[in-house]
Amino acid sequence: MAGIDTGGGHGKGRATNHEIPLIPFIDFLLCLVAFLLVTAVWSQMARINADARVPGPPKPDEEVEKQQKEKQLHVEMRGERKFQLVWKEGSTVVNTIDVERKPVKVGEETRYPDLAKKISEEWTANGSHRAGTDQKLDQAVLHTDNSTQFQDVIAVIDAIYTPQRDWNPPGGGAPKKIPSFNVTFAVN
Amino acid sequence: MSEKALSRFEQPISVPGRRLLHHIPLHFVVKKVVGGGHRASNHEIPLIPFIDFLLCIVLFLLASFSASGELPIDKNVQLPKAENVLDMTEAPMVAITGTQILVDGVPAGNTRAIEEANRLQRIDELFNILKNKRELWKQINPGKEFPGVAILQVDKKVPALVVKSVFQTAAFAGFPNISFMVGRLGGPGGEGGGH
Repeated sequence: MAGIDTGGGHGKGRATNHEIPLIPFIDFLLCLVAFLLVTAVWSQMARINADARVPGPPKPDEEVEKQQKEKQLHVEMRGERKFQLVWKEGSTVVNTIDVERKPVKVGEETRYPDLAKKISEEWTANGSHRAGTDQKLDQAVLHTDNSTQFQDVIAVIDAIYTPQRDWNPPGGGAPKKIPSFNVTFAVN
Repeated sequence: MSEKALSRFEQPISVPGRRLLHHIPLHFVVKKVVGGGHRASNHEIPLIPFIDFLLCIVLFLLASFSASGELPIDKNVQLPKAENVLDMTEAPMVAITGTQILVDGVPAGNTRAIEEANRLQRIDELFNILKNKRELWKQINPGKEFPGVAILQVDKKVPALVVKSVFQTAAFAGFPNISFMVGRLGGPGGEGGGH
């Protein structure tokens, strides 16, 4: 056991050798560990991104860059039978692909693996931003009808985020995998 | 204390006297405990590494301790789950619980009007609260760019019309980067957009 030994303590005065009471200290630590373990929060919560497409506040001091029209993937989930993937360049429709709506139940959750697979194929064929050094992402816009349940919206956003690509952070550092698309949730 | 002094009180328990066989020096016991040339049967338990270990656990748990507890999720709200997700971040939390809309636990409107009208609407109360939050952030962080991130906590059964109305209101109030709060499906998963 731990103690303080000064080598003396044979005189008549108070002993200078002391035993440090470690057992109560260990008991205290164990109680603290038990309390912290019981109150620990093991959160399973996460988030999934979706931008809104609305005009931002005007910034008169910033120079407006003329943006080149890029291809965007529009995912339409308005019908009950199929999804429609539409590649658009501005307002010009480049290509339209129909994907059968086949929901797969994973526990209580709905997944669309066929849609995820098709979106991955489409990105491989038509994606504009593939290089690891490219800091921009391809844009996907999700359109839903008003009666669609929120869980289906999330299932489709999750499917859009399925294809991933390499990305080198601008300040250096190890390359990592990021989703190929950035999702915009269209409210109209 | 002397025996004479104690006898005055006639105590039922007597002062212990000399112990039986105390004078016999049990050399063979002492020899065995110390080892007597072999391994000693008397052992010191190494408590210091054990205390170090406990201290490490305590420090780790204290670091991950959240005084506010679990993220405030209403018991009636069932969140959807997703695979390609990001870790949670600090941002205003807009929750849709039943027909009520809450911003960080403060009531900020109702969804009943949207459902009855069956069309997209701006929720004025929510708009004002979020706008005030934005203004406050800008006052606290002058010169910094406002991230415009808000987290929506929505039940899986809520219709898209309500989500769109809240989403649009938040975007107009200066929060265009919306994250939906979800549960993690399966393993740790990848990253759900943005970097």
